[in-house]
Amino acid sequence: MLTIDRLEFSYPGATTAFHFDLTIAAGEIVGLTGPSGSGKSTLFDLIAGFLTPNSGTISLDDRSILPLPPERRPVSILFQTDNLFEHLSAGTNVALGLGNAIRADDPRVADALDAMELPGLASRRAANLSGGQKQRVALARTLLRNRPILLLDEPFNGLDDATAQPIRRDIARLVVERGWHAILVSHQAEEIATMCARVYAIENGKARLVTEAGSNH
Amino acid sequence: MPAGPTFMWRPGRVMSGATIALAIAILIAALLTVLWTTGRSMPTTGSSVANIGHLVRMSAIQAGLSTALSIFTGVIIAWMLDRLRFPGRGLVVGLLSTALVLPSLVIVSGLLAIWGRNGWANLFLGPLGLPTGSSIFGFWGIITAHVILNGAFAGRIFIDRLAAIPSEKIKLGRSLGLSSWRRFAIIDASALVSSIPGVAATVFLLCFTSFAIVLTLGGGPANQTLEVAIYQAVRLDFDLGAAVNLALVQLLVCAVIIIPATTLSPPATLFGRRSTLHWPEPGWLTVLQAALLAALLFAFIAPLAAVLAEGMGPALLAVLNQPAFWAASATSLWIGVASAGLALALALGLAMARGLLSTSKLPRALLGLPVFTYLTVPAVVLSLGFFLLARQLGLPPSNAAPFVLVIANALLALPFVFAAIAPPLEALSARHEKLIRSLGLSSFAQWRHIEWPLMGRPIGYALAVAFVFSLGDLGVISLFGTSEFSTLPWLMYRAFGAYRTNDAEAIAAILLVLSVSTFILIPKLFDWLTHAHD
Repeated sequence: MLTIDRLEFSYPGATTAFHFDLTIAAGEIVGLTGPSGSGKSTLFDLIAGFLTPNSGTISLDDRSILPLPPERRPVSILFQTDNLFEHLSAGTNVALGLGNAIRADDPRVADALDAMELPGLASRRAANLSGGQKQRVALARTLLRNRPILLLDEPFNGLDDATAQPIRRDIARLVVERGWHAILVSHQAEEIATMCARVYAIENGKARLVTEAGSNH
Repeated sequence: MPAGPTFMWRPGRVMSGATIALAIAILIAALLTVLWTTGRSMPTTGSSVANIGHLVRMSAIQAGLSTALSIFTGVIIAWMLDRLRFPGRGLVVGLLSTALVLPSLVIVSGLLAIWGRNGWANLFLGPLGLPTGSSIFGFWGIITAHVILNGAFAGRIFIDRLAAIPSEKIKLGRSLGLSSWRRFAIIDASALVSSIPGVAATVFLLCFTSFAIVLTLGGGPANQTLEVAIYQAVRLDFDLGAAVNLALVQLLVCAVIIIPATTLSPPATLFGRRSTLHWPEPGWLTVLQAALLAALLFAFIAPLAAVLAEGMGPALLAVLNQPAFWAASATSLWIGVASAGLALALALGLAMARGLLSTSKLPRALLGLPVFTYLTVPAVVLSLGFFLLARQLGLPPSNAAPFVLVIANALLALPFVFAAIAPPLEALSARHEKLIRSLGLSSFAQWRHIEWPLMGRPIGYALAVAFVFSLGDLGVISLFGTSEFSTLPWLMYRAFGAYRTNDAEAIAAILLVLSVSTFILIPKLFDWLTHAHD
């Protein structure tokens, strides 16, 4: 269980304070909505360790992750863009998930690419991939890293529905299979409704539960 | 109180940058202290001090006029190159880029080959009864050399400014049917105006602290600058008290100029965007532009061509047979390689640390301070500081010379090396820091896989600039050079002084070929090396 308990944060000099209380079970995707600047990215930065909260805790299976620096947190992130280093090949981008022994010819890299239905693309430069392929390569790296918390920061924006739909399905399947704890930020109501068991709206710096129905599939 | 620890990202990189900045600050402080204490303890024995007012006035007039003419020339060159499209345009733009690093002595040699007593001009004008004498010596010779070098440098920066004008503005201007004049006044001038103060401040300082050109073309005390007066006080009068007083005045004047200048937009690096939208001028103006451009390019290229023509003849073989030439070449090359490597290491350390401190204004500013060393502490002043420091430490100047040359040349090249590599490193950090952190890459893995492949060309460019800077330096070696310890520019200057003009021209040709080929090949080599990785 990922537990965000009485987490408080405010930017220096800002009047708005953020308060978050949230729990996410293994195999669950929770949706977050809200206007720009409402605090969605702030919550992600707090979970990922890029920001330090004023008070409260974030724990995974009752163990606080706050003492861990970002690089050691059990977190993977899929951004809207810039998930890949465009000068590197798809294979090397995936291999970055192996830690510092980065070898694009590691069999696990090919396995991850195969699992994301990208066979034979290992040597292609990331700059030459389509938007959907780029997100799949990033997902292959996430699969290889296998961190239990997955932060999805509008990863389907900019993709057409036909491209995005199978990726959504793959993510939902992986979350269940691997027992990941996922949070999806999206402005698309239908996307959230399809993927998320529960949906929170962030308003006035607080997450308010708006939907508790739906399915991961 | 924060609920968890605040994580410092890449503390090793931040500490390295801070250590470099601190080390440079301590070094500069030590040099300034030595200058100050020496100035107080050694009374001047000559008359140089009495002439300080004259020196400052002459330096300011010369630098002011050089700057005004260089900016005007630069604007004209940029305006014409922006409008004209012709085969070899890229080569011309690339050639202008070399103006920043071209050894001043090479231009001096070229001007002498054309306008000197036995130059080409007299060769053609003499039979017509129109001899020019040695018109290149003196005030106007200095101005000419400065405008050739700095006009090309300014033009190169302004071309990038014009190329960066948004295409929407060009389309709007064209659809409104703006005349050529209105187009320049409304669209071009607004793009150039913001960069002119920064470029002008840089050019003014370069001319105010000009050494090699004033030393060789000055033609007498009337046209001396503070830099040349410092050199003469040390080397000719051995009046260290006067030299230090002059150096302190020089530092004060440079500081007065550099402090407000740092708030102006700095000159861009020489990597600019290329506009794909071309809006040529009407036919008659295009002809006029082409003619003007040809004339200005001739003024820039002719001295370089003269250097090659005069230096690549029989004189070259004579020089190649001199053991002193090979010794000076070896010294120049290893000092160039070492100072370029040091400048790159310093700049990388500072830039990597700054990239991690994107939101911390004060630490960023402190890490940027060493970059201004070159403009606030000119070469001869820096050299004098090292010279006095070596004496205080009981080191013979000949023993200290190699280290001084490497360190001083690295510091002098630092602003240009930093300007080439800091922006791409910082942009990379801003774009990918979160991803790199969340992937948990080590600092080495980040360098090896992410930064190195993208930084090859800027690093190659930075190394080339630093190497060529060192290769052409006459300011630092001027106080340390002897017949036993010599670099190519020092050997060339001594050849000029001994009226061995042929030798000097041959060395100038070698310096020119080395400089231009380094400037072209090294960035390409590093581009190739980095792209071979993935």
